[in-house]
Parts: sequence; C-alpha cells; structure tokens
Amino acid sequence: MGKIRSLVKKEFRQIRRTKAYFALIFVAPFMQLLIMGSAITNEVKNIPLVIVDQDKTPSSREIIDKFKAVSIFDYLGEAHTAEEATLGLDDGLVKAAIIIPRGFERDMERGLSPAVQVLVDGVDGNSAGISLGYITSMAAGIQKGWMMARKLPVSGGVQVIPRYFYNPELDSKLNFVPGLIGLLLLMITTMLTAINIVREKELGTLEQLMVTPLGGTQLIIGKIIPFTILGLLQFSMGILAARLVFGIPVQGSIPLLYGMVLLFIMTTLGMGIFFSTVANTQQQAMFVAWFSMIFTLLLSGFFVPINNMPRIVQYLTYLNPLRYFITVLREIYLKGTPFRNLWKEAVILGGMGVFLILASSMRFHKRLK
Amino acid sequence: MKRSFLSIVRKELIHIFRDKQSLFMVLTMPLLMLLLYGYAITLDMKAIDIIIADHSAGPESRELIRHIEATDFFKVSVYRGGVAHIGELFQNREAQCILEIPRDYGESIRTGIPVQLQLSIDASDPNAANFIQNYVSRVATLSFAGYKGLFTVEPRVFYNPDMRSAPFFIPGLIALILLLICALLTSIAIVREKESGTMEQLLVSPVKPVQIILGKVLPYTFLGFFDGLMILIVGSLLFDVPIQGSVLLIMAMMLIYVVTGLSLGMLVSTVAKTQAVAMLAAITMTVLPSMLMSGFIFPISSMPEIFQLVSRIIPATYFIEIIRGIVLKGNDLHNLYKPASILLGLDAVLIALSIRAFKIRLE
Repeated sequence: MGKIRSLVKKEFRQIRRTKAYFALIFVAPFMQLLIMGSAITNEVKNIPLVIVDQDKTPSSREIIDKFKAVSIFDYLGEAHTAEEATLGLDDGLVKAAIIIPRGFERDMERGLSPAVQVLVDGVDGNSAGISLGYITSMAAGIQKGWMMARKLPVSGGVQVIPRYFYNPELDSKLNFVPGLIGLLLLMITTMLTAINIVREKELGTLEQLMVTPLGGTQLIIGKIIPFTILGLLQFSMGILAARLVFGIPVQGSIPLLYGMVLLFIMTTLGMGIFFSTVANTQQQAMFVAWFSMIFTLLLSGFFVPINNMPRIVQYLTYLNPLRYFITVLREIYLKGTPFRNLWKEAVILGGMGVFLILASSMRFHKRLK
Repeated sequence: MKRSFLSIVRKELIHIFRDKQSLFMVLTMPLLMLLLYGYAITLDMKAIDIIIADHSAGPESRELIRHIEATDFFKVSVYRGGVAHIGELFQNREAQCILEIPRDYGESIRTGIPVQLQLSIDASDPNAANFIQNYVSRVATLSFAGYKGLFTVEPRVFYNPDMRSAPFFIPGLIALILLLICALLTSIAIVREKESGTMEQLLVSPVKPVQIILGKVLPYTFLGFFDGLMILIVGSLLFDVPIQGSVLLIMAMMLIYVVTGLSLGMLVSTVAKTQAVAMLAAITMTVLPSMLMSGFIFPISSMPEIFQLVSRIIPATYFIEIIRGIVLKGNDLHNLYKPASILLGLDAVLIALSIRAFKIRLE
C-alpha cells in the first residue's frame, strides 16, 4: 500500500512540475467548453436573403416587408435580376433568394395562382431544408392572411400541437454541453495515460521502476489512481461550468452521475494503457490515441444520431464506451433518468472498463518481460 | 547555404522513412477516417421511434398512420388506447415521440371540423425534435391537401439539388483530415530534437534557423499533399461527389493549406518543451475547434457574433469555404481570392513566428 502511495505521490509531483500540463488538463478544456458550448448550434439563423421584385405592387412589397421583419433572415436588400441573385449564391454571400414574378398581383386576382420562385444554396442540405421550410411557412402565413382579408375559405384541416419534453425552448446547448464534457474527459484522460507511460519507456525510467520492489499490478494501480483523480476533477469543473455559465443543472442524481463517470474513466484509462503498450515512441502513442479518439467521437452519437448511420456502422458503435457514456450523461443531465432505466449502460461500461484494464495490464506485463 | 538546407531536408526524409509504423499510419489513417466519417456522418434523419396512440381506430386514423409509416423517417408502433406514462417511455428510450389521435378524429375529418393532434416529443435532441415536428405536421396536412391557394412557392435548390449529406461533408472532411494530420506531423519535429539532445548538435552546425524550419516543413509538405490528393480522389469517386470546378485550382489551394497545418504544428513544436506537451497542444488546438467551429457541421452564421470571430481564426474555416466552392459550385479564383489570400497570409505569419520563437530559444 505504502509503495503505491509513493508512486502516486511521484506522479502528482511530475504533473505539478510541468506547468503546461495544468493548462492542458484544466484551462484548455474549460475554455473549449465555454467557447464551443456557447457557439455551436443546429439552429439555422441569420440566413442571408435577397428578394427580386419584378412585380413592384403593394402585394409584392408586403411580402418583402414581412421577410424583412423576421430575424431568422438577414435581409441583404433587393437584387435587380435573377442573375444577380444567382451570382450572390455563387459567391456564397447569399444563401436564399426569392423571386416575385412580373404580374404576380394581377395573376393572383385572376385566380391563376402564380408561382413565387425560391432559390436556396443546397451545399449544406440540412440548413437548406430548414431555410426552405421557414420560407414556405412564412409564405403560407402571408397567404392565409390575404385569404382571410378577402373572405375566402381557409381550410381547417389537421393541426399538430407539439409538446416538447425536457427542452421546451429547443436550445442546442442543453444537448451539446453535457456531451462536450464527456468528450473532453475522454480526450484528456486517455492521452495523458498513454503518453505518461510511453514517456517513461522512452526515457528508460520504466526500467528503473521495474527494478524497485514494486510489482507490475502495483505499478498499474499507481498509474490509475492519479489519473482517475485528475479525471474526476476535470469532470467536476465541467459540471460546475455547465451550471454557472450555461445555467444547465443536473436533473438527475449526482451520486449516480459520479458512479457512471468512474466506470467511464476505467474504460478511458484502460484504452490509454493499451495504447502505451502498442506504441514505442510518444509520437506513435499520440497517433494511435488521436486516431482512435476521432473515431470514438464520431461513433458516439454526439454529432449525429446513431439511428442515421448505416447498419454496419451502427454495430461498430456498440463497441464504443463513449456511446454509452454520452447516453448516460444526457439522460441523467436532462431527463433525470433514474438508475433502473440506465443499468444496462452501467453494466456495459463497467464490463468494458474491467476488461480493458485487465487486458491492457496483462499486455503491459508481457511487454515488460 | 543551399546545401545545408538540402541536408536538413534529407535528414528529415530519413526520419520519416525510418519510422515505418508512423509512416504507415500517416498514409492509411486518412483513408480510414474518410471512409468511416463519410459513411457515418449524415444528417438525414432515419428510423425515429414513434408511438401512435390511436384512440379513434377508424379508417381515417388508419389512413394517417399509413402515411406516417410510408416514410423511413419513422419506426412506428401503434398503441390502441392511451399512453399513460409518457415520461417513463422517454426515460426508457422506447420512443422519441408520441402522437395521440383523438377519439373524434374520424368524425371531424368527415365533417370538415378542424382537429388537433397532440404530439409529445423528447426534445433532449432539439434538432431531431424540430425535424419530427415539421415532418408530422407535413404528413398530417398533406393527407388532406387539395385546396388551391392564391399563389404557390416553387423551390429550386442549387448545387446539391437532392440536399444529400455527402456533397456537404466529403469536401469538409478533406479539410478536416488534412489539418489534423499536418499539425500532428510537425508538432514534434523540433521538440523531439530538444528532448533527445540532438538540438545542441543542430545548433552548433552552421545551419540558420530559417533553413531548419523550412527544411523540416518541406518534406512533410509532400507527405501532406499526397494524403490530400489521395482522399480527394477516393472521396470524390466513392461518395459520388463530382468536382464541378478546376482540379488544378484545388491542388494549388491544398498546397497552401497543407503548409498552414504544418506551420501551425511547427510553431507549437518550437514553443513546447516536451513532446507530450507539444502533441497535446496540437490536438487541443486542432481537433475540436476544426470540427465544431469551422462550419464543417454547424453553420457559422447561426453562432453568436463574438464566436463567429473565433471561427475566423481557424484555418479550416477558409479551406472549407474554398473546397466546397470549387467542388460543389464550380467557383474559380475570383470567387475565392479572399479566403485564399487569408490562408497565404496565415502561412507567412505562422512560419515567421516559428522562426522567431526558434531564435529566441537559441539565445
């Protein structure tokens, strides 16, 4: 026990001595959480819009005024011709253009149902779809107003009344911030462990540790303890920032959350140790850690719902500890889900953690001999 | 002068080719990343679990259910009778939304009275929630279309008419992968020599800092450029993303961008004291910012204004604009001179900074 304690002490001393570590473990993730938590959003806002008014009647001017008034669109002004609007799309300055044809008002009065053309930049298909949706529903609203003013029958039909649970404002932050905390935890703990061990290998101090009366298992435990503590600290800072800066409280049980974090850290440290056994130099360790990280991020459901992915890729995500952890984080954080609905994830994370640590420690022992 | 520069280049090349494991990774990982990311990232929603509680159970409600089942957007389970614990269903993740069709639905439709459908959505993924709401509304109103309005809206989608995800993501992915690889490649180029003690040897040799920095950047430029070409070709063919503009222009831009990534790594390397710090810093500076803040997935124009400024200092932002412009819109240089000159400027600044940081180290 005393041996492990002195090893842990040594690790902390090393970490404290390297000032840059402090910045990388605490300051950088904190900054990233702040910046990215406030910046990224799936919403589509400030769509740069131009309108080509070939009709120049009260009706067409009313359409322009309506679009000007909404903050979803960033109305850039009138374009004179359709070509001018298209050039704007080419340059990327304009994302949507509305063309009101000549004779629009007259045709409407005659009941000819003229077509208003809408041009959208489809490069970002998702945003394009949303912009189109906004424009069509604005047009439908204008139309309804006109029809009512003319005492024309407006069809009643079916109306869908949505009720949003857990996030009534549909705020992206609530979705991304807990996920980001998980991502940052994974990145830092895995990489720190991997590099730490490989560095000792490179410098030859690992051999010195081996000739001390420390056993291999004690050596591994002595590495796991300090990094677990660092991980927990980093995580606590994350939830504190979520609370204080973004005003996102944890809806569920905090002890449950920490229990899950511990299980997850076992998997990240296990991966870190594993990478250190694969690599001989710090560069290789970083390459391996970094590439696996990119895949872990992608296949976690953080960016894209796993349901969207092709079947085979979905199977791959079952191997990803982060997938379960992100689910757990979001469930506990936003929905206050209790343990009885999360035990499956807990069992899988725990199993993966124990397996990864045991397997990589065994590999580590073999490597040393 | 020229000879000492060349010998630095030669020395780096030897380093690169000696470490077969790293070289192998540098050449295969970008492809692997492209494949996995290319197939996995798609924003086209699919297979969302919906529970439909059909209180009316008449031909009209069955008709509506059939319409919803017809899309691969939803995976439908129909409950006869009520749904008691909506919260429990959501916490169990049995469904992402629950649609309730009221008892008088059939009658209202037949008699033409407006009718309301209650749709409960688990909005912990707000993007999906938005989609679900739009989609259900559209299906519900579509099934009772057949009224003529005063005017119609006729959409025309440019550059990517089917609004597919691949043409959006593949060019962005190339930008992302290139930057990550390049920054990582050079991030330890100098610090490794510091740690292994060969730095002193370099310093006593008659080589100038400029030569050392440029001599180290040059060989990696080939490597990065090769990686870039490889993923451009594979990505374009495999994911069916034809290149509308000039391939030559893409190559020229790619060269500029590769140097940006490399010199970013170089700067980190001259400042950092240990390899571990250098690589961690390089990863922190590149991975998340380039993925999340560059417009790769999340639209920049939707960000708060201050954070739009942050995205302006990320090199990937500019290259994504360039490569999407050329590949999808067939842009040529006169559409793109702005981002291109910013990237060039970044190259110059980063290299100058590395040389300066290196000189300070010397003293």
